[in-house]
Amino acid sequence: MTTTDPVKTTATPKAPRKAAKRPAEPERFALLGVWAVLFLVFSLIVPETFPTTANISNMLGSQAVLLVLALGLIVPLRAGDYDLSVASTLNLSAVVVAVLNVNQGWNIWAAVIAAILVSMVVGVVNGFIITRFDIDPFIVTLGIGTVVQGLIYQISNSVTITGVDRKLSDTMLTQPFLAIPVDFYYAIALCVLVWYVFDHTAFGQRLLFAGQSRDVARLNGVNVSRLRWVSMIISAGVAGVAGVIYAGTTASADPTSGAAFLLPAFAACFLGSTVLKIGRFNPWGTLIAVYFLVTGITGLQLMGAQQYVQQLFYGGALVIAVIMSKLVKTRGERRRQAEVRPDVPA
Amino acid sequence: MTDPTTTVASSGAATSAPLLRVTGLHKSFNGVPALRGVDLDVRPGEVHGLLGANGSGKSTLIKVLAGFHDADSGTVSIHGRDLSSPFGPRGLREEGMGFVHQDLGLAPAGTVLEHMALDNVGHASGFRRVDWTAERTRVRELLDRFEVEVDVDATIDMLTPVQRAMVAVVRAVGGQERIAGGERRGQILVLDEPTVFLPRHEVGMLFALLDRLRAAGDAVLLVSHDLDEILQVTDRITVFRNGETAGTRHTQGSTRDDLVQLILGARDEHVAKGAAVVHDDRPPLLSARGLTGNRIVDLDLDLHAGEVVGITGLAGSGFEELPELLYGVRAPRAGTVVQEGQPVTDLRPAASMARGVILIPADRKGQGGVLGLTVMENMSLPFLTRRARGFRVDWKAIEAQAQEACDRLNVVPPRPEAQFGHLSGGNQQKALLGKWLDTAPRVMLLSEPTQGVDIGARREIFKLIRAAVAEGMSVLCATSDYEQLVEMADRVIVLDEGRIRTEIHGDDITKDALASAVYAEEAS
Repeated sequence: MTTTDPVKTTATPKAPRKAAKRPAEPERFALLGVWAVLFLVFSLIVPETFPTTANISNMLGSQAVLLVLALGLIVPLRAGDYDLSVASTLNLSAVVVAVLNVNQGWNIWAAVIAAILVSMVVGVVNGFIITRFDIDPFIVTLGIGTVVQGLIYQISNSVTITGVDRKLSDTMLTQPFLAIPVDFYYAIALCVLVWYVFDHTAFGQRLLFAGQSRDVARLNGVNVSRLRWVSMIISAGVAGVAGVIYAGTTASADPTSGAAFLLPAFAACFLGSTVLKIGRFNPWGTLIAVYFLVTGITGLQLMGAQQYVQQLFYGGALVIAVIMSKLVKTRGERRRQAEVRPDVPA
Repeated sequence: MTDPTTTVASSGAATSAPLLRVTGLHKSFNGVPALRGVDLDVRPGEVHGLLGANGSGKSTLIKVLAGFHDADSGTVSIHGRDLSSPFGPRGLREEGMGFVHQDLGLAPAGTVLEHMALDNVGHASGFRRVDWTAERTRVRELLDRFEVEVDVDATIDMLTPVQRAMVAVVRAVGGQERIAGGERRGQILVLDEPTVFLPRHEVGMLFALLDRLRAAGDAVLLVSHDLDEILQVTDRITVFRNGETAGTRHTQGSTRDDLVQLILGARDEHVAKGAAVVHDDRPPLLSARGLTGNRIVDLDLDLHAGEVVGITGLAGSGFEELPELLYGVRAPRAGTVVQEGQPVTDLRPAASMARGVILIPADRKGQGGVLGLTVMENMSLPFLTRRARGFRVDWKAIEAQAQEACDRLNVVPPRPEAQFGHLSGGNQQKALLGKWLDTAPRVMLLSEPTQGVDIGARREIFKLIRAAVAEGMSVLCATSDYEQLVEMADRVIVLDEGRIRTEIHGDDITKDALASAVYAEEAS
């Protein structure tokens, strides 16, 4: 936004008042503000446990799996599609790593690669059904997600597999750097990557258009079907990566706990769409949302709240996020509209 | 254009009070007036035709009555009761008006009975049991009364088009009878171009139904473009022009020419468009051979460099479909498209763009641009690949280009970061036009390019298109706006039922000539 062409301003006498280039939108930073307040309040209420290095490091590190999963999920969301199978795919990936490594005695890195490939197959299947038969992705991924869950029980014999090679967790994941577990940095790196793809590549821009209007995208020469298919493969592949991190952090894999990630991931994506770029799914907003949510939950738990506070917080956040984004959008809309059309020639 | 109500007053003296009276209704969209004080009265026991060119305000009026838009000022009275807008989401349905829109509003998988019961149950409290036996009896009785012979358990997709239309009409009447309750008051039924998608030989069945309504003392407001139809079935006719009532006539004694005159207003003179240099010595830029789509049948067409070819006809005649077929939005059923002598094998939007053929669709909000994104983003899409250096999109260059296009085409506001949806229709269209012109297209396919565009922007758009054509582009413009064709086209092709009826050239293109060609009587 730094075009300062002097000719331009003189050539456009129709704009009576030269409005600020970008309207200030405090709403864009509302969640950041709430997050800061939340942090301060908890620091005052539980000063001996909350604002400690150990707690902060734990909060940052513990959310890497969720953040990675959510960053994969916003790709199809940007293209206008829900992927409800990401949590099962994450679980599948973790179980595949464990089964191949522990039960089959594979090398850990071979198992990791296999797990990610298997996850991408889920995306291929999702995308195929959605684009080939033109079916609502909501229902397709719900069904495929359940099928995947069934496969997980089958290959894991419905038991928790422990003893995943320590190499995975030691060298890759939980070693701290600057007192923060290293998987946090992977999540940040992925965030940068997604941001770059969304904002600076043609692919990201086409995703945006496909999500906003399939017709507009198609009439402008975008291959919408292929794009949607690719976005499903990406979300599944990234979910696979999240599953690998998950298996690494616990050095084990159980057949059920992955499902618990589904709602938090959606909550983070939708809450993230109310920050920075209102109404658009964006990676930095998702990052802020993830850490906002964990701050709230951790703080409440340190104050003595029970485990169930987690569900209340995630579920509530998802619903509130959707309402917020609607309200904020309409408000900003009105103001911007007034700015664009100061006077209309009748 | 100020001879509106005199005819109404003089002709309305003898008969009973009107069921529906509209007085001085105004409505503007974003400062662009659509209705500038229209008057209309519809009496019991009459079929009243409503005519007017596109954009004359017919559909706006109906949408106001149906509660879809709120009027800015003016009054509506029904059964002598004065009401003023807003009428709420159900519009004037509670007052005894029924609406049948062009698409009929029927769900293909639902049965006739379900549709009619829906209206009855629709506003009862949610948990009341639906008495299916009583509903069945009521619906049968209703259908029998209007002599509509359909099975109440048939699903809509099993019915013929005319049966569907009749079900929609009876449904609208039946729905209101309930609301009126007790003794039956006269109903007002609004039919919005009900015959466009009906086979010709079945239209009569629908009109027979209208006769039965008339006999029952109801009033029908029939919106149509088809003059013969209007002359055949109505008692009186009101014509709208530019958002005003141009006049009301008794059908008896009116002729086609009177009505055409009333629709078009003052005789138009030819507008100079500058001499076209048509390169018809070279192979045409784009041709169709035997092209067949949903409505178009076996069409041959050549587009040469340096000409604007208009294509028009009645709604449903297939002219609307041609730009999309040539662009490859949908695969044609038969026929080929040839570009500069080469048969086109890959007929898809992306491939068409690559060959320099572009489309500006009629549905600007749904297909032309994304309202929620910025002008710059909307203008960026065709350039993403070109502007991408390696993996990176050069946003600076795209913004500079958008800014340049906005300035050149006089888009207000000239700010690429403004949200597309906040621009007026004319500015949206100019932005889209600027985007496509920057791709240096060879052939431009336009569909209703100035729909919802104010007069000033219209002129500018015409100028831009003429300038592009002068540089050797070819433009196909599908529209039902005759004035636009007069101002812009070098030749106009008139379609009828998917086939070319006639072609009008150069100075012969006048609104009168177009109207006569389009409204010409059935050849058969």
